Parts: sequence; structure tokens; C-alpha cells
Amino acid sequence: MSVTTATKSPFTAEQEAVLLRWKNEYPYPNMGLVEALRSVQDWNRRMTPECVARVAEIFELPFNRVWGVATFFPTFTQWKTGRKRVGLCHGLSCWLAGSDKMEKRLEETLGVPEKTCTADGEYSWESMECLGACEQGPALLVNDRLVGAATEETVAKLKESK
Amino acid sequence: MAKKVKFKLDGREIEADEGRLVIDAAKDAGVNIPHYCYHPALGNPGNCRMCIVEVAGAPKPQVSCRTSVREGLDVKTASDAVKRAQASALELHLVNHPLDCPVCDQSGECGLQNYYMEIGQYQSSVREDKQHKDKRIEAGPHVMLDQERCILCTRCTRFVDNVTQTHELGVFRRGHTERLELTPGLILDNAYSGNVVDICPVGALTDRDFRYKVRVWYLDQTDSICPGCSRGCNISVHTNTQRPWHNDGKRVARLKPRHNHEVNGYWMCDEGRYNTGSLDLGRLGRVLRLSPQKQDVSWEAAASEIGAKLRDGGVAFVASGMLSNEDWAAAKELFAGAKFYFSAQPDQIGEEDALLRRREKVPNLKGAEALGLSSGTFDELAKDLEAGKVRALYVVERDLAKIWGVERAKSLLSKAAFRVFQGPNKVELSESYDFRLPATAYVEEEGHFTNFEGIVQAYCKALEPIGEARPDWDIFRLLATAKSGAAAEVAA
Amino acid sequence: MTKILTKHFDEPKLHELETYKRLDGYKGLEKALTLAPAEVTAEVLKSNLRGLGGAGFPTGAKWGTVPPVDKVPGPRYVVVNADESEPGCFKDRVLLTRAPHQLIEGLLIAAHAIGAKEAFIFVRGEYQNQYDIIEKAVKEAEAAGYTKHAKLMLMRGAGAYISGLDTALLETMEGKKAWPRQPPPFPTVAGLMAKPTVVNNVETLSMLPFILREGGEAFAKIGSAKNGGTVVFSVSGHVEKPGIYEVPMGSKLRDVLTLAGGVRKGHTLKCVIPGGTSMPPLMEKDLDLALDFDQIRAAGTFLGAGGMIVLDETADAVAVAHNIERFLTHESCGQCTPCREGSYWNEEILERMLHGKGTPEDVPNMTRIGENITGKVICALGDTVGMVTRAYIQRFPEDFKKRISDGQKS
Repeated sequence: MSVTTATKSPFTAEQEAVLLRWKNEYPYPNMGLVEALRSVQDWNRRMTPECVARVAEIFELPFNRVWGVATFFPTFTQWKTGRKRVGLCHGLSCWLAGSDKMEKRLEETLGVPEKTCTADGEYSWESMECLGACEQGPALLVNDRLVGAATEETVAKLKESK
Repeated sequence: MAKKVKFKLDGREIEADEGRLVIDAAKDAGVNIPHYCYHPALGNPGNCRMCIVEVAGAPKPQVSCRTSVREGLDVKTASDAVKRAQASALELHLVNHPLDCPVCDQSGECGLQNYYMEIGQYQSSVREDKQHKDKRIEAGPHVMLDQERCILCTRCTRFVDNVTQTHELGVFRRGHTERLELTPGLILDNAYSGNVVDICPVGALTDRDFRYKVRVWYLDQTDSICPGCSRGCNISVHTNTQRPWHNDGKRVARLKPRHNHEVNGYWMCDEGRYNTGSLDLGRLGRVLRLSPQKQDVSWEAAASEIGAKLRDGGVAFVASGMLSNEDWAAAKELFAGAKFYFSAQPDQIGEEDALLRRREKVPNLKGAEALGLSSGTFDELAKDLEAGKVRALYVVERDLAKIWGVERAKSLLSKAAFRVFQGPNKVELSESYDFRLPATAYVEEEGHFTNFEGIVQAYCKALEPIGEARPDWDIFRLLATAKSGAAAEVAA
Repeated sequence: MTKILTKHFDEPKLHELETYKRLDGYKGLEKALTLAPAEVTAEVLKSNLRGLGGAGFPTGAKWGTVPPVDKVPGPRYVVVNADESEPGCFKDRVLLTRAPHQLIEGLLIAAHAIGAKEAFIFVRGEYQNQYDIIEKAVKEAEAAGYTKHAKLMLMRGAGAYISGLDTALLETMEGKKAWPRQPPPFPTVAGLMAKPTVVNNVETLSMLPFILREGGEAFAKIGSAKNGGTVVFSVSGHVEKPGIYEVPMGSKLRDVLTLAGGVRKGHTLKCVIPGGTSMPPLMEKDLDLALDFDQIRAAGTFLGAGGMIVLDETADAVAVAHNIERFLTHESCGQCTPCREGSYWNEEILERMLHGKGTPEDVPNMTRIGENITGKVICALGDTVGMVTRAYIQRFPEDFKKRISDGQKS
């Protein structure tokens, strides 16, 4: 299956292939859209109209529909995330466990405010809604993987584990 | 045919089609249930929560745009609980609304205002700062977007997604950060863009042409038919005569589509809608003899002179599909024996599409056809003029310069011994005739157009004629009387 | 205490097929495949299994509304809702991590029951570790030949809580914004791509191997009236031993608290949120309440997904309500007006109160706003938007009064 490119694709040939694979992964092409957009977020660390327009083209969907999806889900950002995207849960249990204190620690440790990428593009951090690890709050997430509780030590270690 | 069932509406027994939406069935029965998001042509997402009603047996209030009529259904639309629910839904719509009615063009025809007067009228309990969003976004050539006024009912996005399928607008992001926006890289520039202004229940999408021109409560509305093409979209002409110094002095403030299921649904095209600018430009108001020198004459004098010329044969009658059925009938009688030329030429041909727009940009060629009239070609007419076969040339509204080019038209016109121009507006060569007769514009007369499918539709008089202008059929009748020699009757 | 799902959780390699099989794994599926689909559904009906994702709808009854293949031909689907995102809930994460085969076996049983040839496991994006585990387990199950009757596919979400609501989940899967649908039609009639679809929670499906292996009656016997089997509570907050605790349906709140080590030392109980933050809290007087879907409703709240958050006297009701409303405001999808505007409005008022700028009128106003939202919105999230603050105002009026008067003093 091939899709004609109206404009120059912002993706590499390998990336185009991945997007096509998502389109063909499930019984209906549209079902691969969210996964395809996840790939775009991984590659570019943010959503741009150019990239999303190309995804829409590949999926043969109106751009406004796909842009709606790309701006709806919190995983997709319009600000550039770090290569290590750090999430700190501030749901009720994690907040009871002191997430606001850890937010400050994250900001100090990484040296950037929330939703801002470090100069080297390595890190960004943000408060997130419940990460499903309420028993080990405040829960810490790096690139969609839970890494346990955010403590002075684990936050400090974030920066070391390059 | 759907099965008829009986259901209860506020205690009244109502008969309706089974499965019909309660909001529609109630409307049929004269009960208007408040709503924003529901639109019969755009579906019922049920997001505004305004059309809440009580349904006996249901555990909680239901939205009437998503409840179907069935036998024995018992609906209350005006109970205290319903009124409270509607007032509270309205309050939530207004929490972040700027309430800038004094500077909003929607004032006077705004769903928020109207329902506030009807079901709201509470003391505001909002103490928080309003959310600020983008204002004065030039969404397209015709439409201005104000996000702060938007209530996110999604009518406009459903219009561009489902009706025009052009996708220029979207509701992006989520929750309270959600905004109605242009799709990145696009502008709202499709052939039907003005309709989003009509369907917007609030002042979020306003007409750039109409903005700040005149307050809607100064407008009068008249049922009419768009003369822009042979579709014959049903329209309402909104006229500004109460405050003549408003609207830059223009009498027609705007055109709005009128629902007609058979013809245009709820829509009209931009071409037809924004076609009003030239209506009052170069209007002919006086009966003029132009040769040997320019001179005001009375209708009677003009009629008797023209009538006499028409008696002698060698007459060519040039008109267009702008004439009404009444005009055609009168012309058929007056110009019996004359050759008719009225086919749409390139100046009256334009774009067409599958939605509404038709190729021929005049409303009533079909009316002529129905009377058995047929048009000769303009090449034939040119040949006849060249050959001196046309003694009297009678032109209604048509700009011959647009058909033949100025020089050729001028030269051809000079070949006819006697020439009459009749119409509402000046055209390129309207000085090159022997007589010039002022006719009414379609908004100043009543009549019928027969659309391309043969549907005969009436249009009404919205404005008084300018000066001495008369409807075309009335002029033809006058001339017919004069032609038959009964000049005395004309005077009477 | 009887355990079903967590019975073998002391086995370190339970997530591997070999271990799982040794512990009666896939026997329930083998049994199911010897039965006609309707017989499987009948067994589940008998078990009184309720939807443990939060709604508590009888699972067998839900399956029963899927139109039979001879009436509505064409594909039908089972979707596993592993989009657990409600603050306080983490039991699905543990079940996915520790017992992926238990879920897969349950899913394959469900697929057989409704005749689905394709089934999906929708995992929230932030559970990448769990996704990897389940992906590996699916491969093992395929290799072992368990998936001959139904192909299993995985899909990840993108961070929206609302995707966990069945119809919003289906919208997400179809590549749309997670805007909930408004049934009817219900997903079992027109779900994924308008095909009949059963959406079940991880925990619900994980119960099926036991039900098929031991029989529906045995399962029903474990729980309380109309609430069969066990329930896994996720316990967090001010307790000594946060974690998951599996107890029979109808167990007392006091007993669950005891399992979790009780309120942290030196503190006293303020309240317990029983089902995830969206649910109104239970009070000390409710400690002897039997926890099942029906009995908890009598106390004015919901079992939800069993996300229990314990609050001690240090928690301030205004700050707690603010935290929850902030969450709901962030997660409101924006589709319907009362939820979109009301959540934000409530959050703003609470935030003002936290800054010492509350007024006595705010309290009745928030109550009124809440009443105007609940029951008048599209989905359950919206209902809770209107419920939460009201619940804290009603149970802890003195906290609100104190905030207001402290603010006025300063």
C-alpha cells in the first residue's frame, strides 16, 4: 500500500514505513491513528501541523480531525519535550505523599520550569494526572515507564542516568 | 411512511411519526425547546444540554434532541425542574462568555440573549475572572471569529465537515482549554462559508460584510428568492429603511437563506449571499428619451412612442433569465412575432457544484421555456443586426457589451433604427439607446421564478421602487396597451 | 481470606506461561471451549460477576445483550479496558504486571462466549512496562495455541483519563478524540466501528478463568448477594501499608483498612474514598459497611474501581476537593458544556478559597453548581464533576468555614 505525498514528507523513509505499518496493524486503518501519532511524538518530541498533516494524508483523513486528536491527548504536546520526558503524578494520593515538594526538587535538579526542555534537549518534566502507582507516591514516570516513588534520591539519580 | 404514534407533551396528546426526535415533534406542535447544538441538517451531538426535558420513567432528565418519540412517551418541557435545568445549562454557557452584547453584531438575534430573557434572568454568581481567548480572527473573506463568544456547540465544524467537506474549522484541545479554531494552514474560504454565520447561535462567527453596519432590530425581513442562479434558493431579504443613514446608506443589509427542504435546505452560497452590493448602484429612476437629445418624458409619452415603433415588425427582444414568470408572460404577449434572445451567455455562466450552485447565474430561464419561448443565438442576432434586419431592438437588463465587447456592441446597436433599454441599473452602453426605461429590481417587486427543476416560487416586495421604476411586466402591459392603439386607456 | 486473582502472587514467575500453567492456568479456557458460547455466558451470569472497572454492571447480562451471530452477522469484538487512570486505582497495573496470563485467559473465554474472532487489549500509554509484559505473554499464549479462536491485538492510549470510559475508549481506538458517545446504541450493539463490542475491565476478565474452572456457583458463594467473588482494592493515602488487597465482595471497610495496616501511626481517620477520587468519601461511622456495589450505594457513594484512598485528620477537605476538581477539570473532554465550564468554575472557586479569598456565598454556590451538573451531562465523568465538591461540603462543612474565616482574618 502506498500513499502519494502531496508535499515533501517531514518524515524519513523508515518513519513513513512505521506510520504505514500502524495504518495496517488493525482491522480498520483509523484504529492505528493514535499509535501512529504516538510514534510522531516519540520522534519529534512534539506535534507540529506539518507532521500531523502528513499523518492525516497517510491515513486519508481530514487534517482537522487528526489535528483534533493530536491536540486532545496529553501524551501529545505542542511544546518540545526532553528526550527523557519526566512525569510526576499529582493525583490525590501522590499529592498527599508530597508531590508539590517533589515538583520543586525536579525543577531545581533539572534546572528548567515545568514543560520546558533543558538546553541540551535531554530532559523535561511536567506534573501528570494519576499514573496508577498511588501506593508508591509521588509516582515518577520516565518515557511512559514507571520508575517508582519520586524521592530526593530518585530525582537526583534522574540526571545521572544519561 | 413512518408509523404514527401518540405521545404526551406537557399533558397534551400529540400525534407524531414514531422515531421522530422529541425536539422536532415538539416544534411541530408549536413548542420550541431551547437548544444550541442541535440543527436538523447537522445532527444532534447533544453537547449543549439546553434541550433537557423530563421523560416519565427516566431516572434523570433527557435531552430532547436525542430522545425519540414512541407510543405512550410522556414528556414535560416546562416543568419547574426542566426550567431549572435549562436555566442552569444557560448559566454554564455564560460563565466564560464575555457578555459584550453592546458591541456584538449578534445582539438581537443571539441564542444566549434570547434564552436569557426567556428562561434565565438570574443574578450572576460568577466571581472569577473570565477566560480570555482570541478575538477578531479573520477566519476567511466573509467570516470573523471571536473565540470568547463561542459556546463550542460544533455546528460550524459539522457544517464544514459534513456539508462542504472542506474541514477549515475544528474544535481543538480539550476541556476548558478547548477552542474553535481554523485548521492550521487553512482559511474559511469555501463557496458556502457564510452559512456558518447563520448557524452560529451566538456571536462567535459574524459576517464581515455586515459587522457594525446596522443593528438587527432595525431590519425588516421579506421572503424572497435568490436571483443568483437557477437553483432559486429561498432567502430572506433584510432591509434597512428604518435607519437609512446606517449600513452605508444601502437599503439591503444582507440576505439570509430560508429553509426549503425541496430547494436549498438551510443553505445558500456566498455568491448569492454577497451579491447585494451593486443592487443600488447606477439605478435608473427616470423615464428618458436619449435621442436626439436626453429628455425626461412621462411613461405615457414613452409608451405611446415605443408602442407605435413595436407595431411595425422587425423587432428583436433581448432579455435574460432575470425576468419573472409574470414578466415573461407579458413579454410573450407584447413581443408576439418578435425574435427572442435570452439564453445565458458567458457573462451569465459560472461555477456549479453538487450542493446548490448552478451553472447559469440567472434564476428564471425555465419560466420562459415553460411558456414555449425559445432563445435565438446572439450570433444570429448579430448577423441580423449587421444585415439591417432588426428595425427595433428592445433590451431588458442585458449588457450587450459583456456579450459582444464594447466596440462591437456599439457598432451593432447602431445598426438598429430604434433601440430601447429597460432595467433597474445602468449598463455599459445604456446611453446608446433611444429610450431608457427604469425597471424595478427583484427586491422591489413581487413575482415568481421557476427554478431549474420546474419548481415555481414566489418572491415578495421588500422595498419601494426607485423613482419612476415599474416592474417589467407592468411596463410591457403599458406598452401592449399603447401598441394596440388604446392610448386613452393608458392615460386612465 | 479467599483469594482468586492474587492467590498465587507469591510465585515470582507467575507472569510466565510455564508457572501460570502449573497453577491450573488455561484450564478455565479449556473448559470454556468445550461449552457452547451461550453456556459460557450462562455460567458467568450464575457467578454474579459484576463489572469491576467501576460500573458494576453484571458481566453475564452485558454479554447477553450482544446480538447473536445468526441475527447480526459480521465481526464482533472484545476489548480489554486496561486504561486505569483514576486517582487511587492501581490494581489493574498490578494484575497486568503479575498475572498477564490470567487476563489473557479471561479475554479468550469472553471472546469465545460472544463469538469474537478479534480481541483488543487497550493499555494506557503510561503503562509501557505492563504493555511489554502483556505483549510477551500474548506471544507465549499464541505459541501455546490458545489463541486459535481469537486473534489478540494490543493498543496504547495517549494519556486521557476519559479514554477509560467505555464509549470514549472506543472513540480513541477509532482514532478520534475521546469524546464519550451517548447510548443508545450501547457498545454491545454498536461498539467498535459500529460492530457489537464487549468492553470489560482487566479485573473483571481476570475473574473468568476461576469461574469457568470452579463454576459460577462457587464464585457467587464467595461474595455477597448479587455480588459474586472477590474484589481487589487498591489502598493508598494515609495508611501504614499501601498496596492491593483482595477480599470477598461484601467485606467490611474496617477489614480492608486493617489489611492495609490501618491509619498511619499517630493519626486518626478522617474519611475513606472507596472507589477512586471521583467517589464521595465514607466516614468513620461507615467502618462496618459491607463493601459491594449495592450496599455501598446505600451509604451515598460508589464502589467504583476499588481505588481506596484513606485520609487522616491532617487532610483539609477544601484542599482535597480542589485536588480532585483540578484533576477532573484537566480530564474533562470538553464535549458538553456543564462539565467543561462547571469543572473549571468549581476549580477556580476552590483555588480562590485556598488563597484565603473565599466567601460564605461560595459554599452554597458550589453546591448549586454541582447540582446543576450531575445528571445533566453526557457521561459519568461529568456526573462526578458535580458530585465531588458537594460531597466534601456536606461531610466537612467546618473545613470550608474555617478556610473562609481564616482568609477573612488575614
